[in-house]
Amino acid sequence: MKFLAFVFLIIALILEASLTTIPFVLLVLLCLLVIVRENWLFIFAFAFGLVLDLVTFKALGASSAFFVILLFLVLLYQSKFEIATNTFIFFVSFLGSFGYLSLLGYNNNIISQALVSSFIGLILFKLLQRLKIHIYG
Amino acid sequence: MQKRNFTSYFLIFLVMSLIIFGASKIGLLRPLDSLGKAIASPFQALTYGTFAKITEFGSNSKLQELKAQNLALTQKLVDQSKLIADNKALRDQFQTQNPKSTNLIEADVIGAPAFIPGISVPESLILNRGENDGVRIGQAVVYQDNLIGKIVGISSFSANVMLITNSASSFTVKTMATQSQGVIKGQGGGEMILDNVVLSDNLQTQDLVLTKGDVDTSNLGFPPDLVVGEISAISKNPSDLFQKADVKSLIDFSKRTKVFVVVNY
Repeated sequence: MKFLAFVFLIIALILEASLTTIPFVLLVLLCLLVIVRENWLFIFAFAFGLVLDLVTFKALGASSAFFVILLFLVLLYQSKFEIATNTFIFFVSFLGSFGYLSLLGYNNNIISQALVSSFIGLILFKLLQRLKIHIYG
Repeated sequence: MQKRNFTSYFLIFLVMSLIIFGASKIGLLRPLDSLGKAIASPFQALTYGTFAKITEFGSNSKLQELKAQNLALTQKLVDQSKLIADNKALRDQFQTQNPKSTNLIEADVIGAPAFIPGISVPESLILNRGENDGVRIGQAVVYQDNLIGKIVGISSFSANVMLITNSASSFTVKTMATQSQGVIKGQGGGEMILDNVVLSDNLQTQDLVLTKGDVDTSNLGFPPDLVVGEISAISKNPSDLFQKADVKSLIDFSKRTKVFVVVNY
């Protein structure tokens, strides 16, 4: 699963670094966390956040801190409620993307970008769920 | 997953992120930052170039050709207008001009933050040229004689260009036919307005808007007579102090993969 996560994160990083501001890395991290719920995702969040900041002219560490905080909040939420649901993914993708784009200084079409992120998050979630079932049975 | 377990991971990586963030903000990580960008920029250029080609796939090639011809003709029109003005100035012995050659550095567009194809237009571009190539903050970025934007961020191997349509962009301009002066303000989303034009001036639709020129002693700023765009609509109200106009750039920023930085004027 780690290798699969790495591949997905690399693709997300390439897309986000050169093509769009939709926070693909955040979405992949979020979906992976909901599906696998492993601590190594914090390491990935930290490392990919740093690389993302490097290639998108942000202050190093800004994205890492945001990703790590978001993962932590999701894990806190899981102790009380079921998080592996479409509704949860949709809303957290929207709020996470909105917060990320706002905090890092983007000011154009944030709501529409967050909305697109929510749908992409849902598709990613379904895809990763199927892949997990395919790999682990 | 145990709560205590993931809390310790969270705290460790949050503290590390914040330390790096602080160090980056005060400039301690600049060499590392530049090295990382140098390594990443070829990959970004490749990806951006590939996606730019994909978005062009299926578009009308005849239309693209006509657009290119239109740009070339516009450039000739501006050159001609400038020549006429130069000749007039010489004849009148009012002033003499000795135009310096404009030195350009060619740069590849390797990224376009805040850009989603089909949803939004780019607000800024990342170039594969930086401080080591002679690029400085404040220099103009052009394509042919069309103004693209201004360098606002820089590292050793890359630069960040704020496009003229960015909501933070604002500079003085003049119109080509009527020589009306005003301020062009980016509105975001690919829009610009020409503002602060006095009511007594005459604006015309389809008139070209050119930079007035604000190059300083360090050779930074916009050279004069670069094409900013074309007036598409005019808003003139007698009760207002100034009249306004919508201006559309002749360049499709989302399809630009190569631009030029004006390093000396």
